[in-house]
Amino acid sequence: MKWQEKYTTALFILPAVAYIVYFSFFPAASAVFGSFQTPVSHFVLTNYLGLLNFGLPYAIMNTIVITAGALALQFGLAFVVALILRTQFKGKGIFSTIFLIPFGIATVVAAFSFTNIFATTGGYANSLLRVLGLHTMNWFSNWWLDMFTVILSDSWKNTPIVTLILLAGMSTIPEDIYHAASVDGAGAFRRFLYITLPNLRNYIAIALIIRGVSEFNIFALPLILLGYRPVLLTTLTYQFYSTTASVYYSYASATILLCFILVFFVVTMKLRSNE
Amino acid sequence: MMKLSKLLLYFTAVLAILIVLFPIYILFLIAFTPVKYTIDSVYPILYPAGFTLANLVTAVESFGLEGPTIRSIETATLVGLIAIGIGLPAAYGLNRLPRNTSGILTAMLFLANMLPAIVVAIPISAEFISFHLYGSVVGLALAQELVVLPLTIFILQGALSSIPRDLEYQARIDGAGLLKTIYTVLAPLAKAGIVAAFLLSWMISWDEFTFAVILNPANPTLPIVIYINLFRGNILASSAFALILTIPVIILTAALQKYLKGEYLTAGMGG
Repeated sequence: MKWQEKYTTALFILPAVAYIVYFSFFPAASAVFGSFQTPVSHFVLTNYLGLLNFGLPYAIMNTIVITAGALALQFGLAFVVALILRTQFKGKGIFSTIFLIPFGIATVVAAFSFTNIFATTGGYANSLLRVLGLHTMNWFSNWWLDMFTVILSDSWKNTPIVTLILLAGMSTIPEDIYHAASVDGAGAFRRFLYITLPNLRNYIAIALIIRGVSEFNIFALPLILLGYRPVLLTTLTYQFYSTTASVYYSYASATILLCFILVFFVVTMKLRSNE
Repeated sequence: MMKLSKLLLYFTAVLAILIVLFPIYILFLIAFTPVKYTIDSVYPILYPAGFTLANLVTAVESFGLEGPTIRSIETATLVGLIAIGIGLPAAYGLNRLPRNTSGILTAMLFLANMLPAIVVAIPISAEFISFHLYGSVVGLALAQELVVLPLTIFILQGALSSIPRDLEYQARIDGAGLLKTIYTVLAPLAKAGIVAAFLLSWMISWDEFTFAVILNPANPTLPIVIYINLFRGNILASSAFALILTIPVIILTAALQKYLKGEYLTAGMGG
């Protein structure tokens, strides 16, 4: 490549890079910076200490519980569906088309439906329970159910993307290995455990990062289903942004969220590279 | 006779389909069934007990669907156009740069995609107020671009790299400049990828909530109107808006199925 050409090529990337720096890195840095400010002082922990009185420990715990629960459920379901899609059967095309639909449905629309499904009076989940002859219940009566409804609604929407990534990974595993293993007498379960899982390591790590980061950021769904109680790091941030005159508390809780995401990212990448 | 494993497979598949379709079914049920069978009863009826358009007509008349719908269409289209406008040259550049340089830039794009919208949006809102972009379609589109740009660039990189380099050299020898080569020779050949990237960006912006609620609460797009109406207890109005939001997306998802592949969605990090 001639040197001129090389610089022109770099010039093509410049708008995208400039855009990312200006609209993403710069605001993120100023949020972190702002979290150590108050209207009267600089470089203090006032905002963080103040947040302790507004449910910060609960927000952290709830965010972690929802992230872990949603990841477990989505990966469990995604493996089942990916294994189904690896086999040949009549109607597979229709199955995969329908299965992908939630991927495109807006989170807000999912929240609309699940609000009406889990509503205490006039809810369709209770209608279903009654038709089946079971007891109806208040789906938001305790903390466990709050977490459960959010995890379930979120997994409805996001299991397809995990499935797609796992499928992409499975298609890279040569068929021969499976064949050799079954000749050696390995059953379906052992083939999954000793061939599929280890060979999918990279793809599992990527799906974990993509979904894990989004789970920490989960916002519209808990805002609509739960409101501000039980509170998450995102809803806590938004609550302070939308209801108080000073945004410094929201900067502080946003910074904590950012820290969790970065730690999660680094840990997952470490797991990925430890081969 | 069907084997037991086959039977189990069909059972699981049908169960999965029912679970996937149930919430969408509920949306249509609430929108098109008289309220006495749905939101006005303690135990709403699970099958369509009647059919009415009155719910939607009332919602349209009392809440004005055009404003938010037009704003959503404008924002999503602008997001798609900017994505292709900045994304196509960037994708070309990344394909041509030496591996280690492009690796660093790709990691940067990925990091930008990971920064939480809510962390970024609040400082941006302060910035936008001083630039008079707060509450505007252009401002919102610029912010939402963050969500789609990395994905767009990865899809375009894939589309461009499948074109033989000889075609490009040919055009250059014939005297076309680099920009002209990209837009007149490469772009038409990468048409399918460009269209897919545009539609995917369009769809993501169409559904986007966090930036929209923080940057445009006064001039809401469709997702925000759904949220506001749900919050106020106007279930019928929000069902009407949710229908408008959902129908194009179902069509697009079906049309884009070929591109909704793990390889793209892992944003170039696979393998």
